[in-house]
Amino acid sequence: MGPLVPQEIIGADWNLFIAFVIGIGFGFVLEQAGFSSSRKLAGLFYGYDTVVLKVFFTGAITAMLGLLFFSLFGWIDLSLIYVNPTFIWSAITGGVIMGAGFIIGGFCPGTSVCAAAIGKIDAMVFIGGILLGIFFFAEGFSFMKDFYMAGAYGPLKVSDFFGISGGVMALLVIIAALVMFKLGELAEKKWPREEY
Amino acid sequence: MTIRNIIFLGLILLGIVIAMVPENTTKPYKLTAEEMLVEVQGAAEMVSADDVAHWVISKDPSLQLIDVRSPDEFQTYHLEGAINIPLSVILKDEYQDMLDQGIKMNVLYSNGTINSHQAWMILRQLGFENNYVMQGGLNYWFDTIMNPQEPSVYSADEEFAKYDFRKAASSALGGGGAVALSAPAKTKADKPKIIRKKKKKAPAGGC
Repeated sequence: MGPLVPQEIIGADWNLFIAFVIGIGFGFVLEQAGFSSSRKLAGLFYGYDTVVLKVFFTGAITAMLGLLFFSLFGWIDLSLIYVNPTFIWSAITGGVIMGAGFIIGGFCPGTSVCAAAIGKIDAMVFIGGILLGIFFFAEGFSFMKDFYMAGAYGPLKVSDFFGISGGVMALLVIIAALVMFKLGELAEKKWPREEY
Repeated sequence: MTIRNIIFLGLILLGIVIAMVPENTTKPYKLTAEEMLVEVQGAAEMVSADDVAHWVISKDPSLQLIDVRSPDEFQTYHLEGAINIPLSVILKDEYQDMLDQGIKMNVLYSNGTINSHQAWMILRQLGFENNYVMQGGLNYWFDTIMNPQEPSVYSADEEFAKYDFRKAASSALGGGGAVALSAPAKTKADKPKIIRKKKKKAPAGGC
């Protein structure tokens, strides 16, 4: 039966409304989990706090397993799920820029809005930076279009690239995540910070 | 064992399960057996050979004839403007846009009606609209449209009108021979209503 939105079981208006409710919930949970503190995100880079890694990877694993099991039960048609098209060079470059932005600013786009909502000035400056970045990217797009479009692979999945099934890929991701969680906790012990 | 480790273990177990099972690539049928039975009994998918002849002669742009026979048979003879999608390859992705659409009216035909009906059943169960079956198939087409038999003198007027039309159709389509007894009858066929289908949007999104 699923996915509900692409098959128009849920209409466009309800789609926006549900997105709004989920967005509010997401922001609330981020704030409650302390993600509105820029030290939390920067802590992942310095190794004293790896909660961000654990939270987001747990979310990803849950969603991944959910989708795969739903597909197995015939509840969702995975071919209708949007997969972001891959432009390998812009993905790498963008990843580096965004990662640097995370460390310098201490926010990801989501947590910055969250922190701005509770009145943090650094988060508002961060959002200003996002808007400036959007502006310059859009205005300068014609200059970097060739680079941006280079290395197009279409909606590629890692499992397809390596020729393994989605399920095996999921198992590998879960194992990788658990190993990372353990490493993260070791890092927290190695580079502890009392107060932040 | 802490709760955390139990959750870890659970995740790994779920991962192993999902890695072991085959991926579900089947697309579930859209119609239940009961719905299908109603459709089959209604026989709304049938269009008569006369209607098809009329549409072919008038070069109706919304008609798409689909020959579900083998390519060899298609090469030997096929109806004007027909395309060949053999029954054996009807599920291939490349034909899906053609079979699952809301613009044209697809009329399937084979020699008889068995293969065309088989194709129609599969397409209908996948939820595709606008596919129809030519009644009687090519055999009936030859018997009636291409080589029409003159009705007996006691037949009703409609029979003669039909015969006249078939005669005219036959000569227009390059069959049979004899001239029509009178001007081609104007039997404007009622066409099954094409169901305009919302084109399925390509998956879109992002964060």
